[in-house]
Amino acid sequence: MKVRNEYKAKFIPSKRLEKVIEYNQELAYTGKRNIYTADTTQLVYHWTDKSNGVVPRTGEWSHPPEMNISMGDHGCRVDNGQSFPKYDEVPSHVNGYEATAESWAKDYAFLLENTPASIHPFESIVGEFFWEMNEIRKYNFGEKVHEMGREVRKLGAGGTSHGHTCPDYNIGLTQGWGGILNRIDESIALYTRVEEAEKTSYLTGLRIVCVAIIDYIKKYAAQAKAFAEKETDASQKKRYEDIANDCEYIAENPPKTFHQAVQWIHFAIMTDRIVGHGNGYGRLDLYLNDFYQNDLKNGIITRQDAREYLAEMFLKIRGQHFSIGGRLKDGSDASNEMSFIILEAYDMIDDYNNLFLMWHKDINDDLMNYACDVLARHGASVPSMANYDLLVDCQLRSGVEKDIAWNVAVSGCQWFCLPGREYCDQDVNALVLLDPMWRTIDRGIEENVTEFTRLMEIFKEEFKRTAEALRIFKDAQYDVLDKVWPEMATSLNCHGPIERGIDMTGARGVDYQFTSTNILGIPNVADSFYAIKKLVFEEGVYTLSQVKKATEENWKDNEIMRQRFLKQDKFGNDIDEADAMCVEICDIIAEVLDGTKNNRGQQYRGSLFQFQGHTCTDVLPATPDGRLAEEPLAHGCNPTAGRNVNGLLATANSVTKIKNYKFQGGSLQIELQPRFFDGKENMGDYIKHFTESFFEKGAFQINLNIIDLEKLKDAIEHPDKEEYRNIIVKVTGYTTRFICMAKSFQIEFVGRNNYESI
Amino acid sequence: MSQSKGFVFDIYRGTTHDGPGMRTTVFFKGCPLNCLWCHNPESISIKNQIWWDKTQCIGCMECAKTCKNISFDKKGFLKDENCRFCGKCVEACPAKALSFIGKYQDVQTLLKEVKKYEVYYKTYGGGVTVSGGEPLLQSDFVKEFFEKCKENKIHTALDTCGAVPFECFEKVLPFTDCILYDLKLMDSQLHKKYTGQGNEKILDNLLKISYLIKNKKINAELWIRTPLIKDITATKENISAEFEFLKENLLDTVSRIEFCTFNKACVNKYEKLGVEWSLSHYPLIGSTEIEEIRKIALNKGIDDEKIVISGITTQ
Repeated sequence: MKVRNEYKAKFIPSKRLEKVIEYNQELAYTGKRNIYTADTTQLVYHWTDKSNGVVPRTGEWSHPPEMNISMGDHGCRVDNGQSFPKYDEVPSHVNGYEATAESWAKDYAFLLENTPASIHPFESIVGEFFWEMNEIRKYNFGEKVHEMGREVRKLGAGGTSHGHTCPDYNIGLTQGWGGILNRIDESIALYTRVEEAEKTSYLTGLRIVCVAIIDYIKKYAAQAKAFAEKETDASQKKRYEDIANDCEYIAENPPKTFHQAVQWIHFAIMTDRIVGHGNGYGRLDLYLNDFYQNDLKNGIITRQDAREYLAEMFLKIRGQHFSIGGRLKDGSDASNEMSFIILEAYDMIDDYNNLFLMWHKDINDDLMNYACDVLARHGASVPSMANYDLLVDCQLRSGVEKDIAWNVAVSGCQWFCLPGREYCDQDVNALVLLDPMWRTIDRGIEENVTEFTRLMEIFKEEFKRTAEALRIFKDAQYDVLDKVWPEMATSLNCHGPIERGIDMTGARGVDYQFTSTNILGIPNVADSFYAIKKLVFEEGVYTLSQVKKATEENWKDNEIMRQRFLKQDKFGNDIDEADAMCVEICDIIAEVLDGTKNNRGQQYRGSLFQFQGHTCTDVLPATPDGRLAEEPLAHGCNPTAGRNVNGLLATANSVTKIKNYKFQGGSLQIELQPRFFDGKENMGDYIKHFTESFFEKGAFQINLNIIDLEKLKDAIEHPDKEEYRNIIVKVTGYTTRFICMAKSFQIEFVGRNNYESI
Repeated sequence: MSQSKGFVFDIYRGTTHDGPGMRTTVFFKGCPLNCLWCHNPESISIKNQIWWDKTQCIGCMECAKTCKNISFDKKGFLKDENCRFCGKCVEACPAKALSFIGKYQDVQTLLKEVKKYEVYYKTYGGGVTVSGGEPLLQSDFVKEFFEKCKENKIHTALDTCGAVPFECFEKVLPFTDCILYDLKLMDSQLHKKYTGQGNEKILDNLLKISYLIKNKKINAELWIRTPLIKDITATKENISAEFEFLKENLLDTVSRIEFCTFNKACVNKYEKLGVEWSLSHYPLIGSTEIEEIRKIALNKGIDDEKIVISGITTQ
């Protein structure tokens, strides 16, 4: 059975690392790393009454697990089957809940204090946790905002705010937690002196968070020391001692060695992720290369050591996005030796990763070749490819200064961010394009529209209404966000919050606070309007009323009509007229969002993707593109499955007709058959040339799985088979074990286009 | 005689098997041969045809309402001998289950289509391939098309069975960068049995092309391609004879010898045409047989680097 290409490992993990891999893989395939979403409403509108974001696993705001939908095994949290043991003693449960940063900080500190230091034999990078903040503390905007949310949902808008940003770990790696704490104290002194009580209060909370992190790391040092004292095996004893020494040192000081730096980043991510929110973490090769080079000079590290430390971190942090490559401030290629080692670490262990290579024309050719080779051999979209120069252009277009924009990093599924300088709600807001389309059809009927151009004018007005609804809802959230749910752990490593005494979620806490929003259903709405244009306005075969009725009835007893709508030319085949409709829709979206500003005075930005909303057929009725209600929508800006029949290059051309620079991310998702590579000596070459050509035409991102979807169908039926345990796929912008996803996602995944060739 | 339109039945974008790099392959309808294993059975007839895709058909009978020459039975859609291919049924089919196989295209339209993928040719060193059917049955059009491609600096490849008058080659070769030349069976009797024609003209044309290359009359790369069909072409005798022929006559002009293993990906095409395919249950080539071919090549002293084996095997 050949689900993937077979390949020879280029690097072999040590026996020690093998044990660590074994332990972590077991956690993953037994579902102890799964993260869950509350319901399909959450997936479509990114907001539901049940939860703001990922659903809490235990506590008052959790739901029975069987009601939740598993997104996959990319959670940082380790499920130990228990709820938080000191739940009743949580400060806000004892003293009463207050929507303040200080109250939030006390709960956070209590959670860290009562999270045991968890160190396993054979590990050299330590740190895991068992409960997240949203399990002990209510994340709720209040009934007024919720009521508003229910109203705007009717117009096709929704969203929340939780993480989905990127700290700048250069701050902590150079200052250490102690250095950060000193800056907080200086800032407290300043705002106390000038009597700025609100800022002083926020900073007091921030201080509590910072101290809690230092104590948490010290707890690991103490635990490792205690283990070392009892350990009789010399090599294990040495490992415990090393952990103890390094943790003790980096609790307050900035790391000096590569091992310390990786351990520092690992703790920073643990204490960030314990909040329960997903962030990206920046440009890993730039963070780490100097530490590595310094260790090499001092003769205290080997390349294999470096690979192993990174591999351990990857195994534990799960779904965190890092970038490598890109350019430096002076425009030169930023890739370095560490870029290779990071890829090698993945190459060595396979498994789970969300690494991005930020490609540009001047990137080190050897790195690009190796990245394509890794991608071809493992076939799990690691690394995903992103078009660095386009990301910078998008940031510049939004108004980011040039000497800042260069540091952009892919920080999540399909979005990018300036580490430490943005809080833009990436990937947590939704505009569901179907809703303005329905209203457009209704108004078209009422106004007895005879010209298609008029219908498009109405669509623009209706889309604007949906965007306005989102704006009002988001403004209401922004008004209270830094009190309800400040991102204090992340703010510690951002440029602004400490000096300004404002959380990164508060107005001007960081410089850039655009509102990004996902757009669901672009290809379906474009195909729908195209079919309407042809069959209603040009050929006059049907009326708008008939279209409305037929789709409302899910095309029941209307198969001939459905076929006519379904068989009109579709987006994704490089047919100019059909693609032009999608381009027009995208232009309308960009124009409306360009003119929409949040209450921070910063603009809205659309993303050409949506991660899993398209699978939620229970809340998405049939559409005039001939789609039945039970069929998924298109995935992001990819053509609806089965409708692109002219091959991958045609689809790639269609996607690049959209003016990508007006948007905030969007990926081409490719599933290739392993047999495509039969008889090809250099598999990576094909990927490389395709990537270069596609990006030269101005596209954002490529997610490439080389996998036999037919074989995966068996895995849906037999998830317990051992051979399916570690099959990993890039499902949208994130990677997951196939068997850990909800069945509905699995079914949608195997139903995608399996391109025969590039 | 200049043809203003080419009769094209398919375009594949991003192909990597029809010449160097990443290519767009344009398939021309009509073929002088009728090979038992043909992978494009819809290409053989020079006439236009209508075919029926039962996986798309919803059985609405809209087609039958347009024409008395159409009927349905257990096998599905049928047209009788009175069909004049007027296309009314195709137009009436809401599900696009009925379609014309071929389409007449002018040079400009075709050029515009292939130019859409220029960036891929550039980064990957690819270009355009004409295939079929036999593209040289429309040599005037192909000449005109290739000429335009060359004006646009697009690499051109000609995939040919060789069974056409040499004059057809003479028109096209000056604008051809790569020739993919099929050698199927070296025994002319067997060639006639399996393809409908003997191989004399094919071998003769190949030698003439080789002569032109050798004497720098044309500047094209020459690739030989042989389909590997168990017990038919993939026999020790046939492969030995082929290598012998190549060694004696063409070793200095052929840069690549490719063996394409038989597969059955085209079985649905026969179904759509409503034609029984005698090879629909035919076995695939095994990897041991592939090794055998390499051994023969080695024995004949053919450079292993020139030999490429593509496609799927039983293992």
